[in-house]
Amino acid sequence: MQCNYCEWRCDLTGGKPGVCRMYEEAGGAIRERFPHRWSSCISSRIESIPFYHVRPGSRVLVIGTMGCNFSCRYCSNAFIAKEDPTIVQERMLQFSPAEVVRKAKQMGCWSIVFNVNEPAMSFPTLQELAEVARSEGVSLGCLTNAYTTEEATELLASIFSFFNIGLKGLSPTFNREHIGIPSAEPILRNIRRLAATRHVEVTTPIIESVNDGELEQMARFLADVDPEIPWHVFRLLPEDEMKEARYPNVEKIAGALDSVRSILPYVYFHNFVGSEWVNTLCPGCDSVVVERFSLGCGGDRLKAFHCVEKGCPDCGREIRLLGDVAEQWNSREVNR
Amino acid sequence: MSVAIIDAREWQKTFDLRTGETVADRHPLFGMVQGVQERHPYPGDLDVAGNRWVTDTALDLMEQYDPSFVFLTYAQQYFSGRYSVLTDADWPATVAAVFEEVERFVARSGFTPLIVGTGGMTPLAASIDLTRLDGLALCTHWSARYAGLHDPSPRDLQTVAAHPEIERIVTRDDFRQLFRDSPSDGSRAPEYLLVAREGCMFKTAGGAFRQVRRVPSPGYFIPVSACLEDVSDVTDIRKAVDRRISTGRVALIFVEGLGADDFPWPSRKVANGREWFFYETGDAQYLTITTGRHQVFEYPPGYRYFEEDGPGKEFPFSGYFRSVPEDTIGATSAARSIAVGNRSMFMHMAAGADISLECFARNLYNQGTMAVIHRSDKA
Ligand code: SF4
Repeated sequence: MQCNYCEWRCDLTGGKPGVCRMYEEAGGAIRERFPHRWSSCISSRIESIPFYHVRPGSRVLVIGTMGCNFSCRYCSNAFIAKEDPTIVQERMLQFSPAEVVRKAKQMGCWSIVFNVNEPAMSFPTLQELAEVARSEGVSLGCLTNAYTTEEATELLASIFSFFNIGLKGLSPTFNREHIGIPSAEPILRNIRRLAATRHVEVTTPIIESVNDGELEQMARFLADVDPEIPWHVFRLLPEDEMKEARYPNVEKIAGALDSVRSILPYVYFHNFVGSEWVNTLCPGCDSVVVERFSLGCGGDRLKAFHCVEKGCPDCGREIRLLGDVAEQWNSREVNR
Repeated sequence: MSVAIIDAREWQKTFDLRTGETVADRHPLFGMVQGVQERHPYPGDLDVAGNRWVTDTALDLMEQYDPSFVFLTYAQQYFSGRYSVLTDADWPATVAAVFEEVERFVARSGFTPLIVGTGGMTPLAASIDLTRLDGLALCTHWSARYAGLHDPSPRDLQTVAAHPEIERIVTRDDFRQLFRDSPSDGSRAPEYLLVAREGCMFKTAGGAFRQVRRVPSPGYFIPVSACLEDVSDVTDIRKAVDRRISTGRVALIFVEGLGADDFPWPSRKVANGREWFFYETGDAQYLTITTGRHQVFEYPPGYRYFEEDGPGKEFPFSGYFRSVPEDTIGATSAARSIAVGNRSMFMHMAAGADISLECFARNLYNQGTMAVIHRSDKA
């Protein structure tokens, strides 16, 4: 029996494990092996996920499960994404969907964001969570590698209202050697699909001399999908198999990104402390409309929000933003 | 104005520590400090070279700034002990390695050392699962022994009261009463403080990413070396340092994760808390030592930390700290001072030294280093 959640389309017949080891065949259906088990359930700032254009300054509940369908050589969460999921069960958190939503409300979180690993690893659990969250007025977002099949991408769109999609590289060689997939084509297809109806931001980790030559090509692709799509270019902190790799040169990457700002207005360069490329500039007049601190692994944070409603305070041009500023949501009173 | 210099490896930037605004002015100490940061990239929390980095960086900084007081923390063994599988045979070798670094520092600097073991570690025996309570249970800042319980239901209170691994349940009033002489009033302490038994840690909503292997062992007393005078309590250490600074050059050295049983040098056991409460290694213990007053409630165990983490929080590079603590050794001493450590970002706050240089790592991810210049006006 074939699993159709992602493009690996693994044959799980007779107890075969599949690439991610998170699903199994049972009773003629594909079943999740570890439902309602979480590796994370913690409050955070939405900028630290990162989402820069979703309700700036709001507090979110960060959740994650385990397992991944990619084998990125530089994975920073290998101890949860690459570990045999059976082994880590003992330390997982067990929460029903209602309990997850309650935790979010107890901590004054406006939304719940699936982070840490790939949401496609836990579709049935997330579908249940989405139902409860929706009924409680809590929205769901996620980070995803978007390697889902077309039908599973529709599932993603039904569960989450905002996405940060990892576009790691374009060339088949890069994807084969560094990510372990044959091609980025399904990802490009899914970015297009999700951006058509959902809020999408995109993140690209840069490895110097490996995928930095593709920056302009990626920007052109994204601009073609949506000329205002926010794009986070990450200075990769190599971990796992690439722990010894050189840290990308900040000035060099920043220089390369200068030229793509004419293609995409919302380009950010971060994942290192003190980055000065984390503010949102108005595409109309270049005024700084949202200021942020970049704290690298410490998580970014909102510094100042200058928009009037969702418009530039200087020229009035609309700034891409999902939701409103969430000050009330971060107060304790709303939980009572 | 206190200034932070971030070194994110091959890229440096300078900020006002309080506001986070970029600092454009040239500061008399910038170039010197930046040079030290450039020469000493941080190897990482679990890297065996992490403690060597402390010694090398401190010696380099001392050569440039000529301080009379040095504050050091060595923490690599604490991170390894907490997260790595160490056998009984590994630990003595780990302790020997960190003391080799301490000895190297002392021999090279010629400073009089006062060494504090911040408390030993013991293998994790059991986790106390608080995740299914109706109320909100919180552990803060890597605490294992203490958890805060907020808005508990009657069922929650029955559950925790009956739990065999919970040693004690303390109301906010009782907790405040125990430390009624603290500078902070304890109003941010949790409604109930839960205290775990030896070898146990609390499991609360949070991250279950990394397997914790060791937790603090009962640390009612911690070892302090070279205490010839009357130091019997953790709050006495400050006075001992002050006395030495007035007559010579002093290094206050914190060795993380070490208790009296592990301490290889002659030492005295000093009280590390009060009654049932002992400090785990962390900001409260650091501040208590550097100010000479109990500082349990500045960032109390199990408090609702996330409520203080919204937009507008000052000191963006200083984690959960909201202000520069007053009366720390470095802040009040007329002598030139430096601090170097690989424990956490709270060192620049707790030490109050003129110049601090620490790793900028979070959850073991290595982002480089941060130097903080609090003072540049000392002759
Ligand atoms: S979700 Fe897992 S089992 Fe299903 S196709 Fe993808 S890798 Fe294979």
